[in-house]
Amino acid sequence: MAIALEHFLILSAILFSIGLYGVLAKRNAVAILMSIELMLNAVNIALVAFWRYVAPTLLTGQVFVIFIMVVAAAEVAVGLAIIIAIYRSRETVDAEQIDLMKW
Amino acid sequence: MEMGIAIAFWVLAAVIIGAALAVVLGRNIFRAALFLVLCFFTIAGIFVILSADFLAGVQVLIYVGAIGVLIIFAIMLTRETQRGSPSGRLRLPALIAGLLFLATMVFVIVSTDWQIVAEIPTEPTTSGIAQALFSKEEGFVLPFEIAAALLLAAIIGAIVLVREK
Amino acid sequence: MNLYLLAPEISLCALALVVILLDLFIGRKWILGAVSIAGLIVPAAFTIALWGTNETSFNGMLVVDQFSLFFNLFFLVSTALVLLSSTEYASKFAAFRGEYYALVLLAAMGMMLMASTRELISIYIALELTGISLYALTGFLKDPKSSEAGLKYLLLGAVASAVLLYGMALVFGLTGTTHLEGIKAAISAEGLLASPALLMGIVLLVAGFGFKIATVPFQMWVPDVYEGAPTPITAYLSVASKAAGFAVILRVFYEALGPVSLDWSIIFAVLAAITMTLGNVVAIWQTNIKRMLGYSSIAQAGYLMIGLATVSALEPGAIGSSGPSALVFFLACYALTNLGAFIAIIAISNKIDSDEISDYSGMARRAPLLSLALALCLISLIGIPPTAGFMAKIYIFSAAVDYGLIWLVIVAVINTVISAYYYLRVIRVMFLGAPLSEERVPSSGALRAALSFACLGVLVLGIYPWVLLRIAEAAVRMFP
Repeated sequence: MAIALEHFLILSAILFSIGLYGVLAKRNAVAILMSIELMLNAVNIALVAFWRYVAPTLLTGQVFVIFIMVVAAAEVAVGLAIIIAIYRSRETVDAEQIDLMKW
Repeated sequence: MEMGIAIAFWVLAAVIIGAALAVVLGRNIFRAALFLVLCFFTIAGIFVILSADFLAGVQVLIYVGAIGVLIIFAIMLTRETQRGSPSGRLRLPALIAGLLFLATMVFVIVSTDWQIVAEIPTEPTTSGIAQALFSKEEGFVLPFEIAAALLLAAIIGAIVLVREK
Repeated sequence: MNLYLLAPEISLCALALVVILLDLFIGRKWILGAVSIAGLIVPAAFTIALWGTNETSFNGMLVVDQFSLFFNLFFLVSTALVLLSSTEYASKFAAFRGEYYALVLLAAMGMMLMASTRELISIYIALELTGISLYALTGFLKDPKSSEAGLKYLLLGAVASAVLLYGMALVFGLTGTTHLEGIKAAISAEGLLASPALLMGIVLLVAGFGFKIATVPFQMWVPDVYEGAPTPITAYLSVASKAAGFAVILRVFYEALGPVSLDWSIIFAVLAAITMTLGNVVAIWQTNIKRMLGYSSIAQAGYLMIGLATVSALEPGAIGSSGPSALVFFLACYALTNLGAFIAIIAISNKIDSDEISDYSGMARRAPLLSLALALCLISLIGIPPTAGFMAKIYIFSAAVDYGLIWLVIVAVINTVISAYYYLRVIRVMFLGAPLSEERVPSSGALRAALSFACLGVLVLGIYPWVLLRIAEAAVRMFP
């Protein structure tokens, strides 16, 4: 069975769902950040697959992925800075106790 | 050739899914970070299969090199390994949400009639990407320039947040 | 490539750099605030000089039309008010004042770009420029509450971005382009109207953008973040960031997804009803005024979304101007009102060092003018004449009636009645409660200037809204 667009898209959907599960289920801030990276990588796989099969002549899909990587790196840097600031002010990473669903 | 690509895809896909599951299911956060790096590496392999050679390199440089190292640094700096990374009480709803999303996506992917074209992309893609980013006629110059401001904001933000008062 | 069209954004970025550089050489830090506020005149002047143009640049990625110019001015005015109200507050982070002002200006640059790009990658980058600046600003105080708020905002913002990107990827996969015009052409030409992937893409886009405007189910970050963030930044989040979200939604959905408006207008109608009800009902139980205004801003987003739902239900694809123009007018009224309320709270809370509503007891005797101003803004948030909030609600409700969304208007009116309870409670506490101390609550000149501007605007718009209404109508006329 030849590998086609759908294979890559389903791989990307699985990866995205795993990331979504991690975001909802994890309580540790760093673990949530890692799950978000999984979701972004899933998007990247989908974009590259679309570029390869739907619009291979224009490189829009690849350019999109490059920008996502830039933003992801910047976001992780700021996120980890906040986590370290929390650690400093409490001498412990109580990031786990940040209940994201509280309302 | 076709066969080789198929085998490579299935192997890489299995490793990616396995590593991703290890990231979200494991209790040891340091090990999770290492699995995340493995996941990033194998995704670079997927990019190679899709003949996105430049992206594969960038994936290794940025995700493995920068983001992976940053996350491991943060774990070590905050000594988070000792506390572990247990799952919250939302485990079951999270599982249902994830599975529901996956089922919907699979249905959408299978039932959509994608407009696939037969053309094969030219390799290598590096000069093409440079053209797509910077050419005056069709280049993505605007997002490139906004990205410069974004990186400036991220640098200022990160420095302010980490420096002592 | 016409760089002049980008002049407002470029000058704003240059202003941020000037502030950072000045910070290195200047000892008297109050100058930084003055420079940032005065410097906003430059981008504002460029915007006014561009008024009336309708051109694109950067290969169609940047568009300068009435819509983007209107929002440029909107963001510049609200940024100026936020900076004015920050001048006193900024003493809390003495060492980082320059960085604070620079980040506020960079966030404003991102918002202006959000309203004036018509290409998915640029929209995403502009959105993240705003987002990253605001994440850092939210955690700026570096106390546990502020850091937690910053972390929560960043994590949920990143999840929303990922969802948004997945939606964008699906749209790109279907149409092969990221330009809004190209997407629209592809959708109409290739008969993709009934495609499941397009529907899924729309749902994901709504969810992703919904985070910015704090709609259900992405509203849960609001109370904690609003409570923990520095109060001027809370005001900024509740007004400018929300407006930027609405601007980008109008742009993407009307310009790219206009042909499938039937699909998404019903989503927005249902979300509007849920969002306003949830915001108002939960707001009743709040004891912290910043949290209460957080839930109130969720409810206001619900009213605003009525404007998104009022797409012609009779003729698929035909889009009337009365819904969007009502939305834009509502945004302007809401911005002045909410900024006024927050500036009054900054002035009071700075002195009494508490955000609890019970500590506002008898405030009318300790700070008569501040209490009066806060009362005026709260009345406008309910929507009682002669205030801007009343005109805004009349206009958006009548747009919904015109489009046959009677049920939504009924829900909204019931909600307005519910909301009167918790807004009036604050006024009652301030005017009828016994003062906790006899000490007067003084306020700085900058705060008083900002507050007078906001309150004057609320009254003027409540009595003579026609000029702004014309501008709002001109702003949305661009949409096909």
